[in-house]
Amino acid sequence: MTERIPVILDGDPGHDDAIAWVLANASPLLDIRACTSVCGNQTIQKTSYNAMRIMTLINLHVPFAMGRPKPLVSEPIIAPTVHGVSGLDGPALPEPDFEPLPISAVELMAKVLRESADPVTIIPTGPLTNVAALLMLYPELKPKIARISLMGGGIYFGNWTPAAEFNILVDPEAADIVYKSDIPIIMAGLDVTEKALVFPEDFERIRAVGNPVAKVVAEWLDFFYGFHRSKGYAGAPVHDAVAVAAIIKPEILDSKEYYVQIETTGDFCRGMTVADWYGYYHKAPNARVLTGIRREAFIDLLVEAVTYYNQEEK
Amino acid sequence: MNPIPTIIDSDAGIDDAIAIMLAAKLPQLKLVGVTSVAGNVGVDKTTHNCLRVLEFTGMDVPVYRGSAGPMFRQRVDAAFVHGADGLGGMDLPCHTHEVEGIKAWDYIYSEAVRWNGELQLIAIGPLTNLGMAFVKYPGLPKLLKRIVIMGGSASEGNDTPAAEFNIWADPEAADIVFCSGVPVHMCGLDVTMQAHLTPGEIDEIGKIGNPQSNFFRDVVQGILNFLSQFNFPGMHMHDPVAVLYAADDSMFKASPVGVRVETKGALTLGRTVTDLYSDAQWEKNAFIVTKIDRDAFVKKVFELMSKY
Repeated sequence: MTERIPVILDGDPGHDDAIAWVLANASPLLDIRACTSVCGNQTIQKTSYNAMRIMTLINLHVPFAMGRPKPLVSEPIIAPTVHGVSGLDGPALPEPDFEPLPISAVELMAKVLRESADPVTIIPTGPLTNVAALLMLYPELKPKIARISLMGGGIYFGNWTPAAEFNILVDPEAADIVYKSDIPIIMAGLDVTEKALVFPEDFERIRAVGNPVAKVVAEWLDFFYGFHRSKGYAGAPVHDAVAVAAIIKPEILDSKEYYVQIETTGDFCRGMTVADWYGYYHKAPNARVLTGIRREAFIDLLVEAVTYYNQEEK
Repeated sequence: MNPIPTIIDSDAGIDDAIAIMLAAKLPQLKLVGVTSVAGNVGVDKTTHNCLRVLEFTGMDVPVYRGSAGPMFRQRVDAAFVHGADGLGGMDLPCHTHEVEGIKAWDYIYSEAVRWNGELQLIAIGPLTNLGMAFVKYPGLPKLLKRIVIMGGSASEGNDTPAAEFNIWADPEAADIVFCSGVPVHMCGLDVTMQAHLTPGEIDEIGKIGNPQSNFFRDVVQGILNFLSQFNFPGMHMHDPVAVLYAADDSMFKASPVGVRVETKGALTLGRTVTDLYSDAQWEKNAFIVTKIDRDAFVKKVFELMSKY
């Protein structure tokens, strides 16, 4: 068996974060070293609670620590319209069967990096607050980060505002630090995640797998699709799972390399990911921007992931 | 249908010159006047070019001088694309008409009053003159039918990765126009980048054989040469797209959207921020033109140039 890829999952669960973690935990290719929470879809208390409930549900017992209550500079923005009041509305979940570590998310990330023999991949599926703080506080650990596969941005359009995608908009200063870090970035932005649609008939495929995790995932999709159906979507865009798929199944994705910068100012463009599509800035690309996905293969990947939890029942 | 009374506001400009030549032969448009503005080159040159091109088309249409620079900013130009004189150094006959004595924005208002809600503006340069008109005449928006612009982009920019030249050159004026209350039909790079003519098609236009068609072929050679470094399939007919759309939108696809112009961003100055589907749900103040039937477009250009 090949060496597993060491990863840290950093998210603001969130339905699509939850599905991303279900996917990551099921993959034999990944060695999850820690999970951390960040404020985004909901307050840090709620995203942390959700993170621990998810980890309990999927029996992911790795070190967990909470992120800070606010973005680096700006005030929090939350998304109850998309994810509900709890940040993870829908099916009942088990109460957490463990406590968060008494250290911060950033300290836990640093500890994992320091103790790892090999560079670690970070998969942030929320605002980039923790990752930026890590880079600022522990610059010496930068070589221990193999790459950052993130869900965020969109080189042509946003979702929370016309120009900005939610995760980047919530903490543009953090995103700016990450994009300027020279660490290889895989960007699962709206360019690809809006194509990662899970259709209602796919929910049924997942539900039919039948184990408790599969049922919960199907119900998360039911809830998450509610918001998107009202906006005319044919399915639920499971944004965050694409950042995980980019590591475990890169062959189902198309990408293009760009030099991407973060707009931190402006009346309308704060939080925009600006791609230099024609070499205006004369800079080498800093991000592999995902642009397309084989949707059917992505669905198969999700079904395969929930099927993994059949064996957990035994 | 009666032809629509129309003013073209232009920073002529190579593709502006072509747009004006096409406008002259479009039966749906009644071109009542042309206003000049600084943009591709300075306003003295764009005014001179408007006069020369109009006379070359055989139209007797007055020209009114507009602003020498953006409303609040230093002037930028695109002489590196259009040549120092704005028309690629082409040897057009000098004009016999002279520019009219009133300013572009006063003229626009007087025509709007005269046509009482029927007037259409086609703006194919920076939007300074329109911005000035709206600042000076608060009653103007109610008197305009619509504004068709060549400018902006909901996707890639050309002057910077985020911004298109005409908007970037005077972003505040552009935002005034989008917020004016007059429906703005935005023919930005989203559609104009689909409306190219290949070098072969441009040669064919030259072979139509009249002086205007020869001019068409010759005036674009500099730009074709400039664009060859970017691996484009030909020359994009940015400004002609706006004129053709303003006359007959049947070969286009457009949808209502909200648009504002970024006037402060460090990386995004001059971006036409377009709300296609976001949760912000901006008021729909504009139509974004997203698609053109290129075959029909090429045919139309041939048809119009054959009328000379």
